[in-house]
Amino acid sequence: MVLVLALGDLHVPHRAPDLPAKFKSMLVPGKIQHIICTGNLCIKEVHDYLKTLCPDLHITRGEYDEETKYPETKTLTIGQFKLGLCHGHQVIPWGDLDSLAMLQRQLDVDILVTGHTHQFTAYKHEGGVVINPGSATGAYSSITYDVNPSFVLMDIDGLRVVVYVYELIDGEVKVDKIDFKKTSSGQSAH
Amino acid sequence: MMKKKKVPDWLNSSLWSSPPSSAAAAVPSPTPSEPPPPYPPLSVLDPPEPRDSPVIDHTDPPPDDAHHHHHHHNHNHNHNHNHHRSDRDNDNDSDDAVSSLPSAEEISRQAQILAELSRKVIDMRELRRLACQGIPDSPGIRSIVWKLLLGYLPPDRGLWSSELANKRSQYKQFKDDILMNPSEITRRMYNSTSCETDDAKCESRTLLSRSEIPHGEHPLSLGKTSVWNQFFQDTEIIDQIDRDVKRTHPDMHFFSGDSQFAKSNQEALKNILIIFAKLNPGVRYVQGMNEILAPLYFVLKNDPDEENAAFAEADAFFCFVELLSGFRDNFVQQLDNSVVGIRSTITRLSQLLREHDEELWRHLEVTSKVNPQFYAFRWITLLLTQEFNFADSLHIWDTLLSDPDGPQETLLRVCCAMLILIRRRLLAGDFTSNLKLLQNYPSTNISHLLYVANKFRVQSV
Repeated sequence: MVLVLALGDLHVPHRAPDLPAKFKSMLVPGKIQHIICTGNLCIKEVHDYLKTLCPDLHITRGEYDEETKYPETKTLTIGQFKLGLCHGHQVIPWGDLDSLAMLQRQLDVDILVTGHTHQFTAYKHEGGVVINPGSATGAYSSITYDVNPSFVLMDIDGLRVVVYVYELIDGEVKVDKIDFKKTSSGQSAH
Repeated sequence: MMKKKKVPDWLNSSLWSSPPSSAAAAVPSPTPSEPPPPYPPLSVLDPPEPRDSPVIDHTDPPPDDAHHHHHHHNHNHNHNHNHHRSDRDNDNDSDDAVSSLPSAEEISRQAQILAELSRKVIDMRELRRLACQGIPDSPGIRSIVWKLLLGYLPPDRGLWSSELANKRSQYKQFKDDILMNPSEITRRMYNSTSCETDDAKCESRTLLSRSEIPHGEHPLSLGKTSVWNQFFQDTEIIDQIDRDVKRTHPDMHFFSGDSQFAKSNQEALKNILIIFAKLNPGVRYVQGMNEILAPLYFVLKNDPDEENAAFAEADAFFCFVELLSGFRDNFVQQLDNSVVGIRSTITRLSQLLREHDEELWRHLEVTSKVNPQFYAFRWITLLLTQEFNFADSLHIWDTLLSDPDGPQETLLRVCCAMLILIRRRLLAGDFTSNLKLLQNYPSTNISHLLYVANKFRVQSV
């Protein structure tokens, strides 16, 4: 039972001052084992804040991040799942499933987490699952209107993943879930 | 007006105290109405057949660490009831000579215990009487006797298999319910609503469907009734238990080390303590409970009967609950200062010491100002598991569990005996040396200790 927080596109301080208070009250240290962040924090203070929530922090670089040393993509293995991380502005067309699927095959991961569109999506395709946690602060974007703040918490338990989607809609936190599983831990032939 | 009690005769030999003249000077002359020193009820210590062997007296615990097990001295004693002590002496013989065969008395006691255990309905009084003198170390005996003494097994043998099956399945139920992590709990909640889980890799491309969560259960929930929230609140306790279990008896392969066996034992200890903590929110887990559980689990796990050993965890859980029920109050912080709390128990020990050895009491508490809380706290709350080596503490527990006075009373008597046995050194010491001595109690002959403790038993007229 491993809890992984996936979030990104906060754009602090340029487009948003901070995470919504209701999100912050829920995000307390000691519960989450890993944080994967798609990028565009943009400043070090956000990095430090995330570090207090969980020491195991993975970040990929968004185009507005001030820290230049974050990698473009990252992969990590948590339990039975391989996760891939990328901000997504590099993948053109932005948010296109086919292109993202190509990236996923390149990275050879079961779950690809990308951002940039500021909109929560979760797709599955032959290569695996693509998740976009949206923008945790609800920052505006050039391609999405009316952004609701959102982030994702994945509960990886053996071969199953339960993805909890947290969205702030009209000032209230709404939580949904998505279940999926792997059939086996080995490579599946396509 | 309080009568000053004299030091009992049997203590008054040159063995225990400094030169008789000073002892006499320190203690007022005995009043004529003082009853003779009480002896334990004959029924408890009476050996099955009277012994003629010569009295072998017990040695004074040596001033230093040399094991006195191998020393025997003959002393003159003013004591004239030799035959009552003889079976204890013979115990000493057999206990002391590590490599010698068990004495005839021990063999006969073992035979008696086995005979008692094989009866259809066990006479608990008789079993207690036999067990009080010490349970033989032969494999399997202690395990069954302790289970009987703690009330886990009923005296009627015919009921054993059904009782055991019952309790063991109950424990399994506890484990399933309590040790389940929230992922599984919520999954079971979901399974009742829908069985749809998407396969991550399949031919079609679709948007993954979002579904509602039952009862607002999500990992970051801060609701009081949320299983996730409760889980995270419990992790603190679970971490504490984990740490303590890893530190239990680091010198024993059974409990510590990298072997699979040690790890599975640690796992069992953890499970028992976690389940106990969850089932008893009033007392939860307190450091030290692991030390009380350890001997219980050890004895039960080392049962040569395979089935018993396999279910040792379940059996140990219930025995632990039973054992702790008498001592729970020691672990509840709010009760510390109450009539049933640990402080009051320590005060009773102090009073007991004063009753039996006023001189020592006065020297310890008044002159050298050794507050009994400094040493007795650990003695009492941990049931003397930390003061003696493991094998010796098992012997002490034989007596604690079987004595009809009950474990707490017996424990106090044993503690009192512990103090009196080293009275010479305590009387000669100041605060520092006495405290050091009491917090690192010197190794001693357990049978002798228990014998002395037994002598403090309140006599019925």
